[in-house]
Amino acid sequence: MAWGRTTLSLTVAAAIFLRWMPHHGWFSATLVATSAVTALAINLTRKRRFHRAITGIKHEAIRPDVASIAYVAASVVVLACLGIFTVLLIPVEQ
Amino acid sequence: MENFSARSGGGRTGLSDRVLGGGTEPDPRFTLANERTFLAWIRTSLALLAGGVAVEAFMADLFGPEMRKTVALLLLVLALLIGGGSFFRWLNVERSMRRKDPLPLPWIAPVLAIGGGLVAAIMAIFVLVRPS
Repeated sequence: MAWGRTTLSLTVAAAIFLRWMPHHGWFSATLVATSAVTALAINLTRKRRFHRAITGIKHEAIRPDVASIAYVAASVVVLACLGIFTVLLIPVEQ
Repeated sequence: MENFSARSGGGRTGLSDRVLGGGTEPDPRFTLANERTFLAWIRTSLALLAGGVAVEAFMADLFGPEMRKTVALLLLVLALLIGGGSFFRWLNVERSMRRKDPLPLPWIAPVLAIGGGLVAAIMAIFVLVRPS
């Protein structure tokens, strides 16, 4: 469920980033795309993750999902950097 | 501990070995709990991101452009720190569990508290002192 809530948060964030498009133009679409792609990737790997957790608990040994953790963290960092770049350098369109 | 194949979900991959280093596998429930805590921090970071965008996009009537930009940047920088810090928090906790060391203090908690308090204080002062 935690991954599901994260997918929902990314989807809501993508919708909010859409609000920037009238002000900052098409560059803000990069934020929408990054959020949406990350949410989609989490959703597509949901079954694999579930089976990994179930098998790990059954065998009392689980492999930490380093790649997924790193990817999600990197996506959020990229989103924040894109947002900072947009506020600082992309002029507001009148 | 028996080494399982990657398909079974147990054991280590090359990436896990390189990132996490040595030690013994903890109870899988602790690993999953650490993962859930990481995701909670990520959701907090996303909320701060959305807040920064909302301030910059929705508050043109309330704040001037410089004030709006400052508050939005503060929120976005806070989101960056929390998002990036959450990965290192996850990594440090995972390594501590494997080495049976004491868990590290989460420095991103005071960063969030101080940063969030600062933004709230700035906005409260501005709302109180601005001419009606």
